[in-house]
Amino acid sequence: MGLYNRETKLSTAILEHPQLIPVVNRLGIMLGVGDMSIGSICANAHIDPDFFLSMVNTFLDKDYFPVNSKGTFTLEKTVDYLRRTSEFYKRVQLPNVERHFNSLLQRSGGNNNLALLQKFFNSVRTRFDECYAYDNDTLFPSLLSGRVPGNASLSAEGHFEMEERLHDLLCFFVVHLRGEYDPNLCVAVVTALSSLDKDYRQNNRIRNRILTPLMEEMHNNGC
Amino acid sequence: MSQDKCIAFIGLHVLMALGLKNEIRKCGEVRVETFRSYQDFLPLAERMDAYAVSSGIFIRHLDFFLPRKMKTLVVDNIDEYDSGDIIPLSIGASTDEADVESIVGKLLSAISDKVDLPGELSAREKDVLRLIAGGKINKEIADELCISINTVITHRKNISTKLGIKSASGLSLYAMMNGLI
Repeated sequence: MGLYNRETKLSTAILEHPQLIPVVNRLGIMLGVGDMSIGSICANAHIDPDFFLSMVNTFLDKDYFPVNSKGTFTLEKTVDYLRRTSEFYKRVQLPNVERHFNSLLQRSGGNNNLALLQKFFNSVRTRFDECYAYDNDTLFPSLLSGRVPGNASLSAEGHFEMEERLHDLLCFFVVHLRGEYDPNLCVAVVTALSSLDKDYRQNNRIRNRILTPLMEEMHNNGC
Repeated sequence: MSQDKCIAFIGLHVLMALGLKNEIRKCGEVRVETFRSYQDFLPLAERMDAYAVSSGIFIRHLDFFLPRKMKTLVVDNIDEYDSGDIIPLSIGASTDEADVESIVGKLLSAISDKVDLPGELSAREKDVLRLIAGGKINKEIADELCISINTVITHRKNISTKLGIKSASGLSLYAMMNGLI
């Protein structure tokens, strides 16, 4: 049983968990949702409500295990969602962290620790680009053509590594930061990082609980 | 740690006593006095700051050791004790090497005037961290420090828990920021 069901008002869910905004955006729903239920909104937008609820509940609840009883999760829908998610990280969230980081460095009087942290952030970004390229150039096209690539585990390993590095970067700011820095700009970096870190972790859960079983099923069917 | 502090070894097998003395030396300067029996120890009991005892002596003299349990380490060649609050500090046959250092550290902290900062790495953990930062894998670290791979893994876990940093690249960055490499 997930947190939300078809009868839940989407506005209530978003007000309780604003981190759902990018998730519902990726599923094709934009803000200004009115006071309709999730079921009605999905019907109007031609979205499968079971798929929508599985994504939302898996994202929010670490103990929630979606069941693909009615064939809710098709590969096409899941890959489409994950592609949109990666695009969002690449076009919005990572540049957002970078913008705040640059401002922080400019206003923090040559703090060497911050320069090292920015270098670490750049390495996180490079790792993300590698994962993004592998997913879009190899994994997703291969899955959509009905074949599981032999090195498919590279994707999960890469995204897990990203999750660890984002967590570490956040931890450096919160636990180990030294020297002088602009506190307001530092808050902006930490907030942007924290939002990305949380979203990434929750999205990895969707990969592990929805995409991985689909791939295993394909593999067992000899694909 | 001051040389004024003294740990009593009571009824320990000679080889265990030697090993434990070696571990204590790694963690700090503290004196050790050895007693073959509880009766030998008793006249000097009040002069001692902490105690390392066999399980048999601990159990036979609970009235003495229980009120001092935070300063008492139970050492034996049978399995380690999992008796929670009654024996907080114990070393047994299956205790991991890396945990021995941590347990001895706790015993010394209990009698130390110095307050350890939370998250502070031990000397051995710093050695492991330097090697991680140097790009060494677990097997290479184990060979270089003459310890088992399991001990390296335990050190890595402890380092990550103390620092909150999980990835090898994050640990390397920490080592760089703190002048360890």
